[in-house]
Amino acid sequence: MNSRWTIAAGSSQHRTYQLVTWGLGVLAIILIAFAYVDVGSISLGENTYNISLIRLNKAVAFAVAILGLQVVVGYTGQLALGQSFFFGMGAYIAAWLVADKDWHILLTLLVVIPACFIVGVVLGLPALRIRGLYLALITLGMAQVFPSVVKLESLQPYTNGSGGKIADPELEPPGWIPFDGFAEFLQGIPLLGGYFGDGPIPAKQEERLWKFFLFMLIAAVCFWLVANLIKSRPGRAMRAVRDNETGAAVSGVDLAQTKTLAFGVASALGGVGGVIYVAELGIASPDDFTQLIAINFIVGLVVGGVGTLSGAAIGGVIIAVIPDWASGTQDVPGIPERWLQGPSGSFVLGVMLILLTFFMPGGVAAGWRRFKARFITIVPQAPVPAGAPMTEVAVEAIEETDPTVE
Amino acid sequence: MDLFLQRLFDALSNGSTYALVAVALVLIFKATTLINFAQGEMGMLGAFFALQMWLWGVPMWIAMVIAMILSAILAAGIERVLIRPFDPADHLPLVIITLGLFLLINAAAAIVWRFDPRSFPNLFGDGNAISIGGANLGWYTVGTIITVVVVLSLLQLLLNRTKIGLAFRAVSSNLESSELVGIRVGPTLQFGWALAAGVGTLAAAVFVANPIRQIEPSIMLRVLIFAAAAAALGGLDSLWGAVVGGLAIGLVQSVLVQYLNEWVSFPTTMSLAAAVFVLMLVLIVRPAGLFGTNAVERV
Repeated sequence: MNSRWTIAAGSSQHRTYQLVTWGLGVLAIILIAFAYVDVGSISLGENTYNISLIRLNKAVAFAVAILGLQVVVGYTGQLALGQSFFFGMGAYIAAWLVADKDWHILLTLLVVIPACFIVGVVLGLPALRIRGLYLALITLGMAQVFPSVVKLESLQPYTNGSGGKIADPELEPPGWIPFDGFAEFLQGIPLLGGYFGDGPIPAKQEERLWKFFLFMLIAAVCFWLVANLIKSRPGRAMRAVRDNETGAAVSGVDLAQTKTLAFGVASALGGVGGVIYVAELGIASPDDFTQLIAINFIVGLVVGGVGTLSGAAIGGVIIAVIPDWASGTQDVPGIPERWLQGPSGSFVLGVMLILLTFFMPGGVAAGWRRFKARFITIVPQAPVPAGAPMTEVAVEAIEETDPTVE
Repeated sequence: MDLFLQRLFDALSNGSTYALVAVALVLIFKATTLINFAQGEMGMLGAFFALQMWLWGVPMWIAMVIAMILSAILAAGIERVLIRPFDPADHLPLVIITLGLFLLINAAAAIVWRFDPRSFPNLFGDGNAISIGGANLGWYTVGTIITVVVVLSLLQLLLNRTKIGLAFRAVSSNLESSELVGIRVGPTLQFGWALAAGVGTLAAAVFVANPIRQIEPSIMLRVLIFAAAAAALGGLDSLWGAVVGGLAIGLVQSVLVQYLNEWVSFPTTMSLAAAVFVLMLVLIVRPAGLFGTNAVERV
């Protein structure tokens, strides 16, 4: 494909390009956070679409859980689809520790991550013998069992049954962060200043901003760790298992070890997502962790792009925003109003799932990559002559050509 | 003793509905080596068709037949448009498509008929056929058992005595070879899907016709796991195996779990977990199930 610009991987141009795109991304996130810290909404006719940090915070939680699915489904090719189980488990452990043991919400990660990892490994052990469709069936069954586990009478003291466990995360922003000053600076920008509200930020919104940046930081660490995992030796083993299990085994990949690791990592990430979810909502209730959520995660995985890291982020935003916007749509010409009051969000997600499987199998991430390729191509450096030692740059360039590595 | 008999009767009525859904799963598995995650929802939609026609004044059994035909046509369309374009050996896209259908059909039914439960006409009449001491065997249970036997016998006739049945068996035993001898594989698989949808609609209708149940869009969510456990237990490609598996899962749910509840206070709300456990056990110990054919993998 002819693109406008061509950049050699590893050149100084490439580095500048990476720096600029990353910088712009971070800047965009900060600006969005400040612009939508109050409940903003867009109106189209009779319909209002809410855009606010509450939804973005949920999106971050979902994105981390979907990142777990990427590891096990996208990179290892195992159809373990019951991510809502671990999402819920992380959420409930965090809620219990915060509410009953007075832990700080972030400290609960120290318990949630190992606990979910271990449970994921243990539940993954039988999965070593079960493959493909059967694994999908069992894991979806597990996802369906989770709400009734939480409602068990013997667990009532810890989970508070169907009422849900209330846990106030108490995430007060530290005083040294000059939210007001920064908001004032943004409001002072000519023309655009109006988008950033008026005057200093109320305490409630400051807390929301602080949460958002905190969650983004946790999510960024998770994404960074997974990105490195995928490029490391175990990560290459995972991709080998996905592409050809027999071939991988013949090449010396320990199938059991690789799959178990993938299950463990995926479950731990699901747990982290759950902690973020509770930190945002302040309550863990059984209806938030049904089989439907497990399926929503799969929608996020597929619509974002299976086997891509950016797909997890895109998927998280999609499943956080679409059901909400669909229920905000109360007036569409030609469709009876009564129908729009139903679960139109699930309907839209189902349609998206089917359409994208047909027309954009790589999801939004792949579509974006194709779009970007029209403008910018990053080519690997010229091959090193035979016999010469491989430079580090050349090794990186080879990794760059593998479409599944970001 | 009465209690035991009553539980046995409950097991029969639950087990036979699981058996019917399991038969639908097995038909699709035989055709496309695929577990249709949307099977329960497709059946639920068919049952709603029947209910709607009954509300419009069509006699119940005629409404049932029309609903079965409608859902068979719908399933044939789904197979042609959504399933056939994909490589049957690659499971991920197919699982995703059926999950998409699951979401879509569930939401569509909830949009049209809402989530509030409605009572479904009793297909088999009220009252008890047999009362032994305190245990009652309702006409409903007798009706479901007869339905299972009739459906299975008809399927057996269809598959063993007709040309399309022969083609179906050939395709499910070896897809490539049957293509080589001139069987039109696509329409045959489509026939399998249509057949499964018809049976699935009947299964869902029978399930919600139980006087203790009402119909609402998410009624079949749990049933699918029970039915899948039944199908796996019997062997995913064996029709009679599905019936045996269904009855066995019914026994687990209505007899074993109840007694475990009394002896070791096993919570009855966890019967679904018991079904998942049975499913897992079968897949680990004997993946081919009780009556299924062992899959031979060529490397």
